[in-house]
Amino acid sequence: MTDSIATFMTDDHQRCDHLLAACEQAVSGGDWTRLAEQAKDFSNALLGHFDMEEQVLFPELVAVSPWASGPTGMMTMEHGQMRSLVEELEDAVGTQDADACLGILETLHLVIQQHNSKEEGILYPMAEENLGDQTPDILSRLQAA
Amino acid sequence: MDTGGLSLDQAPPIDIPARFFLTAPLFAIAAGLLLAWQGPTLLVSRWMPGALAATHLIAIGYLGLIMCGALLQMLPVIAGAPVPAVRLVGTLTHLLLTCGAAGLALGLGGGDSAALLAGGVSAGLGFLAFVFPAAIALVRARGVPGTLLALRAAAIALVVTVILGLLLVAVVLGWPRLPDFSRAVDAHAAWGLMGWVGLLVIGVAIQVLPMFYVTPAYPAPMRRWLAPALLIGIAGASVAWIIGDALLGRLLFGATGLGFVGFAVTTLVLIRRRQRPRLDPTLIHWWSAMLSLCMAAVSWAFAAPPTLVGVLLLVGLGVGLPAGMLFKIMPFLTWFHLQHRQLAAGRFDLRIPHMGGLLSIRWAQAQVGLHLLALGLLCGAVFVPALARPGGLILALSSAVLLVLLIGVARTYRRFAERLAL
Repeated sequence: MTDSIATFMTDDHQRCDHLLAACEQAVSGGDWTRLAEQAKDFSNALLGHFDMEEQVLFPELVAVSPWASGPTGMMTMEHGQMRSLVEELEDAVGTQDADACLGILETLHLVIQQHNSKEEGILYPMAEENLGDQTPDILSRLQAA
Repeated sequence: MDTGGLSLDQAPPIDIPARFFLTAPLFAIAAGLLLAWQGPTLLVSRWMPGALAATHLIAIGYLGLIMCGALLQMLPVIAGAPVPAVRLVGTLTHLLLTCGAAGLALGLGGGDSAALLAGGVSAGLGFLAFVFPAAIALVRARGVPGTLLALRAAAIALVVTVILGLLLVAVVLGWPRLPDFSRAVDAHAAWGLMGWVGLLVIGVAIQVLPMFYVTPAYPAPMRRWLAPALLIGIAGASVAWIIGDALLGRLLFGATGLGFVGFAVTTLVLIRRRQRPRLDPTLIHWWSAMLSLCMAAVSWAFAAPPTLVGVLLLVGLGVGLPAGMLFKIMPFLTWFHLQHRQLAAGRFDLRIPHMGGLLSIRWAQAQVGLHLLALGLLCGAVFVPALARPGGLILALSSAVLLVLLIGVARTYRRFAERLAL
């Protein structure tokens, strides 16, 4: 296991990227049972990632550096945008609408990418810098979340 | 710590980039229709008035508008630095470039010196109105280093292209005399196509390829050194060429071309190694643009007709790749702005269309197909003249499909923006 918050969270971003790509493959394959499973795996991973941030990482960061509440608030708001796209995806999978699935996945993909680049470029380094000595404790809580 | 890059309010109002994107396809349609009208004569030589007109319709009217519009949108995001007075800059640049492209096309194609002068001056002013504020943002910027280096190099190349272009307009109008006019034209074309367009494509690719398709990043030495090295190569080559050292000029142009081929091949390899396997229409535009770039270099090296190099670079790379990028940029921007309006209005009862609902993927596929057909016909037309007219018509048609798709996105935006305001 890694001993860096940034690496741990970035790896989790990549896991979500792969699961999203797997959903797109499943849509193209036309196998709706498989897509329903893939979509569930993807949404669990993505929403789980948001929970780790909103319940563990962001509060800890804001506790040591209160001025971080602006950026973390922004990120939390973007999580809201992505949560509603995930709901739309579940509806589209339910109604077996392939075009809608692809369009929603494309939108999600781009929102996730620009969101992740902000977290990986700014927020995670900020967390590394400010949460130095608590890292082992936070990492174990993130893994447990 | 600077958290400016997290702000959502840096993006310019959507009507600024949108007006660039909605005007640009008109010029590609015009270039296609010009080809269809003049037919094979246009492709006889790069000095044909029609060829010069079509080149500037595509290079300034289409490419120039899309690139400036996209940069006004992208700079705040990738550089974390807003473009100062973006509304004024956007409005001026758009108007001046539009008039400039039309004027230059009339002047060069119809031999109208007043139009040539007016077109040259407004295109020059349009690019300068864009490049100075953009340079301020680029100097202040601290984002992805590879992208920034390439964008800075491209901005320098744009300034040199404009200066050489204005000089050429003056020569054509009979003011100063140049010892070797055709070599100055070569230098202008090299700075414009290799410098401004080529370096900008490199900067954009470094930024968006990993993001759009989840590819590995470009190799670090390439991100760091390629754009500055190419800029130096272009500068050295064009100076050698203008002062008459043909051998050194050819060698340096060849080395620079090789650098671009290296970039294109790397791009194709990275795309192969992408972790998002889905074959989307924009990916086909990347493939065909990078293959066109390689084929243009090979054609140049084997002394193929210059019009073939021109078709490959202007249509294969210049018309195709931006169309592919617009298929992503326009729907995403629209979704992004509608989202924010929704949030501001608190209207969560209304479901905003996702990207697939804004721009139909099937029509995007049709556009790609038409584009590839036009490219194939126009490359063939260099050798089989009868293909020139159908090639021009299909080029106009593929650009018309692009325009209709973009108008569709804009109309949906307007409809939802009105409903959200209720």
